Amino acid sequence: MKFLSTISLLVLSATLAQAAPDRVATVKTTVNGMVCSFCAQGILAHFKKHPAVSNVHVDLTRKLVLLEERKGKTITDAEIIEHIKKSGFETVKVERVKQSFDEAKGG
Amino acid sequence: MRRLRNGAPAWQFGFCDHRKRRCTVRCYSVLLPNSLISKLLKTLSISILLAATAAAHPVAFEGAYQLMSGTSGAVQNLELYRSYSAQAAWGLHAMRFEDDEDEIFASLQHNWLLKRWNLPAAQANVYAGLGAGLAGEVGNGAAPAGSGFFRADFETRRVYTAFDAKWVESADVSRGVFSAAAGIAPYKAEFDQLNTWLILQAEHVTGMEDKLDIIPKVRFFKGPYFLELGSTLRGKPVVNFMIHF
Repeated sequence: MKFLSTISLLVLSATLAQAAPDRVATVKTTVNGMVCSFCAQGILAHFKKHPAVSNVHVDLTRKLVLLEERKGKTITDAEIIEHIKKSGFETVKVERVKQSFDEAKGG
Repeated sequence: MRRLRNGAPAWQFGFCDHRKRRCTVRCYSVLLPNSLISKLLKTLSISILLAATAAAHPVAFEGAYQLMSGTSGAVQNLELYRSYSAQAAWGLHAMRFEDDEDEIFASLQHNWLLKRWNLPAAQANVYAGLGAGLAGEVGNGAAPAGSGFFRADFETRRVYTAFDAKWVESADVSRGVFSAAAGIAPYKAEFDQLNTWLILQAEHVTGMEDKLDIIPKVRFFKGPYFLELGSTLRGKPVVNFMIHF
């Protein structure tokens, strides 16, 4: 019985581990210098082109760029930092949060 | 300056043919009749609809095109740039100075973002640019011209300050445009909201009869669209438009 439970747990873990990349993830990036929405249009333009990003939100008050990743796809921290740099700004911190994109937008 | 057989003045450009190693011997000449230059300048002057002496965004984000156009007092301006990085852009720049004899300048220009300070609640920038093209009085032909600009700005979500200096030099045209501006935002707009700014600008164009123009204006922007509306204290309308794409 104990053996069966262990096997079940292993199978469940393996299934969850396999399913993990398919979940939708939210990435919260703190950015310096974002004081003007006209100047920050590059952030929107660059991330919208990335195949792993399904949604972008710029929050000037909290100095955040929120990204929603597509199911099963990932944008790396290095790519995020590079896109922010190409847009003319400076990344302070990249966090992967458990909140949904809409929850993260709401604060 | 050389003249064509019919007497029309023309401009000669000489350059060496390095491939044939005939640098000092063989030069090429491009002869442009005065009437053709005048026609081109007139067409250009008509095509300049609006202008902004303050090139508010000489370099945008990597891969962006920015079109800036407007009129501010006695100067009209048209600029189209391609930012090939977040620090550099190149493109076309045309200006028209309204005076007793209107003057036109058109050039290829390169802009640099020399330094940017990205602070938690502010951004400051220093830009410079150089251009090479043609300038002249409307109807009187044009001569090779050079241009340059320097710009420094500082901005928070509520406060804006900027200083601009531009120069155009040719055989017939010598102009400098200096402007300083300060503004406040009556509210902090979010990224997807309409931004509104109240700005006061002082502008001086060298060689003009009126020494200084004071320009109160209202700036709006939303998404990639930017519009400024105002007037000099002498009643000349000021309209500036900008778009990123």
